[in-house]
Amino acid sequence: MLTCDTYLMPTSLKEALEAWAAAPKGSRLVAGATDILPWAREGRGGDVHLPSMIDLSRVTELCGYEVQGDRVRLNANVVYQVFLEDKTLIRLLPNMPYCAAWFADDQIRQQATLVGNIVNASPAGDGIPPVLTLNGEIELARLDHGAVASRRMPVSDFITGPGRTEMAPGEIATAVILDAMEGYGGSFQKVGLRRSLVISAVCCTALIKTGDDGRIIEDVRLALGGIGPRPIRLRDIEEMLRGRQMTSELVAEASLKPAEMVASRSRVEYRRAVTSGFVEAAIEDALVTLGAPKPEPDQRETLHA
Amino acid sequence: MPELELDLTVNGRRITRHVDPSYRLLDLLRDDLALTGTKEGCGAGECGTCSVFVDGKLFKSCLMPASKAQGTTIETIEGLSRPGELTPVQRAFHKTGASQCGYCIPGMVMAATSALRENPAAGIEEIKERMGGNICRCTGYTKIFEAVEIARDVIAGTLPETALNPELTKTSYIGHNTRRLDAPSKVSGRLKYAGDMEMQGMLHMQVLRSPHAHARISRIDTSKAEALPGVHCVITCDDVPGEDGFGVFVHDQPIMARGKVRHVGEAVAAVAADTVRIAREATKLIAVEYEPLPGLYDPEEALRPGAPVIHDYAADNVVKHIPLRKGDIETGFAAAELIIEERFSTQQVEHAYLEPEAGIAYVDHDDVVTVISPSQNITHHRHMLSTIIDKPINKVRFIMSPVGGGFGGKEDMIYQGMLALSAMKSGRPVRLVFTREESIMASAKRHPSRTSYRMGLTKEGRITAVEFSMLSDGGAYGMSSEGVMRKAAILSCGPYEVENIKVDTTVVYTNNTPSGAFRTFGGMQAQFATESMMDMAAEKLGLDPFEIRRRNMMKAGSRTHTQQTLNSASIDRVLEAAETASRWEAGPPNVRGANRSDLDGPDTRQPCTLGARFNEARHQIEKAKVAS
Ligand SMILES: Cc1cc2nc3c(=O)[nH]c(=O)nc-3n(C[C@H](O)[C@H](O)[C@H](O)COP(=O)(O)OP(=O)(O)OC[C@H]3O[C@@H](n4cnc5c(N)ncnc54)[C@H](O)[C@@H]3O)c2cc1C
Ligand code: FES
Ligand code: FES
Repeated sequence: MLTCDTYLMPTSLKEALEAWAAAPKGSRLVAGATDILPWAREGRGGDVHLPSMIDLSRVTELCGYEVQGDRVRLNANVVYQVFLEDKTLIRLLPNMPYCAAWFADDQIRQQATLVGNIVNASPAGDGIPPVLTLNGEIELARLDHGAVASRRMPVSDFITGPGRTEMAPGEIATAVILDAMEGYGGSFQKVGLRRSLVISAVCCTALIKTGDDGRIIEDVRLALGGIGPRPIRLRDIEEMLRGRQMTSELVAEASLKPAEMVASRSRVEYRRAVTSGFVEAAIEDALVTLGAPKPEPDQRETLHA
Repeated sequence: MPELELDLTVNGRRITRHVDPSYRLLDLLRDDLALTGTKEGCGAGECGTCSVFVDGKLFKSCLMPASKAQGTTIETIEGLSRPGELTPVQRAFHKTGASQCGYCIPGMVMAATSALRENPAAGIEEIKERMGGNICRCTGYTKIFEAVEIARDVIAGTLPETALNPELTKTSYIGHNTRRLDAPSKVSGRLKYAGDMEMQGMLHMQVLRSPHAHARISRIDTSKAEALPGVHCVITCDDVPGEDGFGVFVHDQPIMARGKVRHVGEAVAAVAADTVRIAREATKLIAVEYEPLPGLYDPEEALRPGAPVIHDYAADNVVKHIPLRKGDIETGFAAAELIIEERFSTQQVEHAYLEPEAGIAYVDHDDVVTVISPSQNITHHRHMLSTIIDKPINKVRFIMSPVGGGFGGKEDMIYQGMLALSAMKSGRPVRLVFTREESIMASAKRHPSRTSYRMGLTKEGRITAVEFSMLSDGGAYGMSSEGVMRKAAILSCGPYEVENIKVDTTVVYTNNTPSGAFRTFGGMQAQFATESMMDMAAEKLGLDPFEIRRRNMMKAGSRTHTQQTLNSASIDRVLEAAETASRWEAGPPNVRGANRSDLDGPDTRQPCTLGARFNEARHQIEKAKVAS
């Protein structure tokens, strides 16, 4: 059970930062609350009492998004469902809709924010691998002599371990800034115990761009989640694939190495097996969104035999 | 405590309220506005029984702090239609029988309504995905999806309104699709489960549970809890006036731990207070001193000489041993041309009914101690409670509230006694609603089992003898264990006629969560072993798995394992139906049929994919291209 003495709903960033700076020790920021509320239950955080909860969902500056040249600025209140419904974002962030489709369910997606997912920094946070492929930077605001000041850093540096980030006391995450990837194919693979409402055992995402003939890989970005203390970008595999002629043998070869990176504390063998299959499927599915034919399951089987 | 001021519109009416800032939207709806059609199945976003519309979008109200609802427009199941009327979605649920226990159904109706509002032309895959956040444990999803498709087509006008009407039944209901009488109350959210009921002056109970698996209790000090403002009473085993002890076969379980605790999660004390929050705080003020004892976690260890003893009356830790003998297995094995030996194990399983345990108790004007709860065995509970509280049977009443799923898990009287005691002690009605975690921790589970199996067969596949020995982990208390062992023994060798059998089923005490009644009542564990043996035997003998079963199946005139002569048997028809439906290609189990027509055909489960809405969107674009 989560209890608190006060629940505040500031409407401007300044007001929120002031409330946060003044909040008694042990207070918490709240975005969608989809991590905080379930955490305060038996077997996890147990009964938790917070002096103050500061809800950011009505802070004007944190709502909506902006396209800024070749970058997209998603303000902190952007929720997952938007990636399934907003035409512009579907076009510019081609792996996010697939990530969103696998994230929780339609209802939780109305509430859960991408920034909350990043700040929560779970090794299995589904939004983090796509953000890594989109070269995501997080923007952090604080009060400096009464004025709003902010800094930015790559999400890959921001998350330092399971549940650990570089967030400093008094800071609020205000946005995540991503590359706009129009024309890329995107995909997301996930496995857990069931289809909806499940934490990833492993997830994998790909962004891919091919030459005009659809055969040469002009650019590719890959990332994995659920396989160690934090999600990782597969830069060496990207390097290996970039500029090469697309063949199923090449994709199969690229899928072998990531298995070695599995550093989870449990179910290592299972995760290794899944990881290889996922890298391959992520590349193939991303190509399919660019118009490539969907490979038949037996085609894959023959290749791996 | 500073209060939160809320101003919002609920089901078309403007509401202003001052509430606890810790409130969730769910608490506001259920506790303050009495809109109990919205349920709390898990409180953690996992089940969807709490789904409501907030400004037109579906949300899980257990995950929404009430403040977030400030200024919004809320629509709950009660607001979908006027009292006495049903929407097409609700009528379609009624029509297809999509309401078994009904506990998930208001949430399901909300999710279905949302799916069709979002996309009135959604295909079945998209509907399934959009409803993916809602779980049902008993109806199953087939009837629910069938209902949503009918509703969609009626709303779109491609099916006539009459498609929502009941099917005509002539003279007999048998063989007809008959509508459930209680469905309207379930699809509209009007049906009150125990946790939805309120009484004037009602107190709320919370339970202090053991963190130890096995420990002696040297002291319980409840004074600080009793002194907390808002607390009306604290109860422990010392408040039991009569002879303490309940259970389906042996009365080995006290209402609350007496002298020692035997499993993690066992009730030690309980508090009744003005609010759940106060009661919960008070449980933390109860000081319990434990002296940990060596624990038993493995049923085989429980049988070892010198093992810790869980209950004084059972020094060998055996709850029950059921031996069953027919013919002579020595002769049977001597006649065998093939002998197979295997070991099988099954795990503990939680029932996970969507309604967590709940109940209200009160002492009425005639001093009748009354307990309302979704108990699956009220008469037995009533008899046991009368002894425990030392009252004549006419002063004890049990009322069965609608059961939001039981599957055997609500047969044991694990909390009704505490409710009765606190109602007697406080003089007020008292309600207890388990959290999901508490339900999982404190309720009985399916028996984990280990079976050693020896089967003798002729080359033709006729079983000549079976030696079957099952050891089950009964956990800390006896509960339904004895009955489960009987059933496991009776069903042990399956629907096959075996002349020579030696069957032993044994259940022992350990310090694990108690095992109890669960659908199949021991049959599943035994059948898993027997049917696996049949397949292995078929493989070794090069026989078709259906054929080996036919050669052994019971027929009219067969003698069962317990030596009853059967007048009729239907296993032949079952085998035939299974063989046809699975498109089985004759041959031993380890040989793949030439066509593998059992795979991928109609009615086989397809691999899990998501993203139907993308595919459908793509499909629409392509259709538009072709058209232009
Ligand atoms: C049933 C269920 C299913 C789920 N399924 C998935 C899933 O499939 N994949 C997945 O990855 N996750 C899943 N989650 C977890 C959760 O929904 C996500 O992590 C979500 O993105 C968290 O966002 P939120 O806005 O709800 O965060 P909140 O719970 O509000 O906050 C999370 C944390 O971030 C902090 N925080 C939030 N916003 C800010 C900010 N702007 N600045 C600083 N700190 C901030 C909070 O203080 C808190 O510590 C699921 C949760 C539930 C209950
Ligand atoms: S999802 Fe809210 S109670 Fe289960
Ligand atoms: S009818 Fe769905 S849980 Fe019982």
